[in-house]
Amino acid sequence: MSYPSEGNLQRAIAFVAALGIGVATYIAIAESGGGSPVCLAGSTGCKTVAESSYSHVAGVNIAVFGIVGYALLLACAFFASDLARFGGFLVALGGFGYSVFLTYIEIFKIEAICQWCVASAILMTILFLLCATRLVAHAGNEDEPLPDRA
Amino acid sequence: MNDGGRRKQLLQLAAGAAFLAIAVVLVLIVVNASESDGGDTEIEGAGAVNRALSGIPQSEMVLGDPQAPIELAEFADLKCPYCKAFAEGVLPAIIENQVKNGQAKLSYRLYTIIDDQSQPAGAAALAAGKQGRGWNFVEIFYKNQGNELKPYADDAFLEAIAKAAGVKDLGRWNRERAELEPEVEATTAEARELGFTGTPSFAIKGPKTNGLQPMGTVGGTGELEAAIAGAS
Repeated sequence: MSYPSEGNLQRAIAFVAALGIGVATYIAIAESGGGSPVCLAGSTGCKTVAESSYSHVAGVNIAVFGIVGYALLLACAFFASDLARFGGFLVALGGFGYSVFLTYIEIFKIEAICQWCVASAILMTILFLLCATRLVAHAGNEDEPLPDRA
Repeated sequence: MNDGGRRKQLLQLAAGAAFLAIAVVLVLIVVNASESDGGDTEIEGAGAVNRALSGIPQSEMVLGDPQAPIELAEFADLKCPYCKAFAEGVLPAIIENQVKNGQAKLSYRLYTIIDDQSQPAGAAALAAGKQGRGWNFVEIFYKNQGNELKPYADDAFLEAIAKAAGVKDLGRWNRERAELEPEVEATTAEARELGFTGTPSFAIKGPKTNGLQPMGTVGGTGELEAAIAGAS
């Protein structure tokens, strides 16, 4: 089976992680001071989810944990080492697992869908697939610098 | 260790982490799902209440179409046995004939007169209303109402009512019910300003009234239907 080159995977991970930082930062800023992100098409799902008890863990907005997670994934994309590959996989696995749990909570407990949370869950799923592919395809390779595009 | 050995070890660790993550997510889901399974307090009549109110719009403590021209406001105490009697004997006909067709909407306002538990119970109803289950909470509370002289409406009872009413986010409900007690005090003050001395008391607002007009205690369904017709 042929896999994408590690350079391409690193660039894809960096791009998606940067998008994730943007989404999580927007959610965190919108919810600071008791507000909520703006849902499209007049949906009130974002407000309902933001007001729910699941929007904070130990008093910290979960979007802040999202920013940290995406930032770690972005950092891992800049290094071609087993530590970066495995570390990135673990962070993406944790983020993906938590996204699955939060999506369950939105559908079955809160009964409201926040479009921004769904966007973040999709990005985290893509990152998990990219990081898993990177680990399976390139684990054990000698550490190499990020190849040039040219 | 050579590259092949290191690769094998990393992939084994990754597989272990993946299994662990699946287990943790499943445990979190099971724990959260089991939190909505009733509790020690046995609650009766929830299914019938939830079925009866299904499909009727609710916004906070207002039951019915928010655009309905007539607002019939009930000032009540959850621990009041007369309020329970009205909820079960008088209001169902109003809900069926005037609320469901969009002619009137019912608003439930707390007027606490029984004891110290009336206010936190009222705030718990308001917090359920924030999640669209306010009337479910009120009617299920009445179905399980105890002796007004006894302190049965403790936190465990209120939480069991909230669960039976279908309040999904109990964490939010718990947080907000503490914050909503001033709102109960405000509607109790409003009831006194309207001159009410007992529960349930009613007031009505419509195109032919000058704001919210106090009616006080009423005799039954016919009097409420006549008031709605007169205010239209």
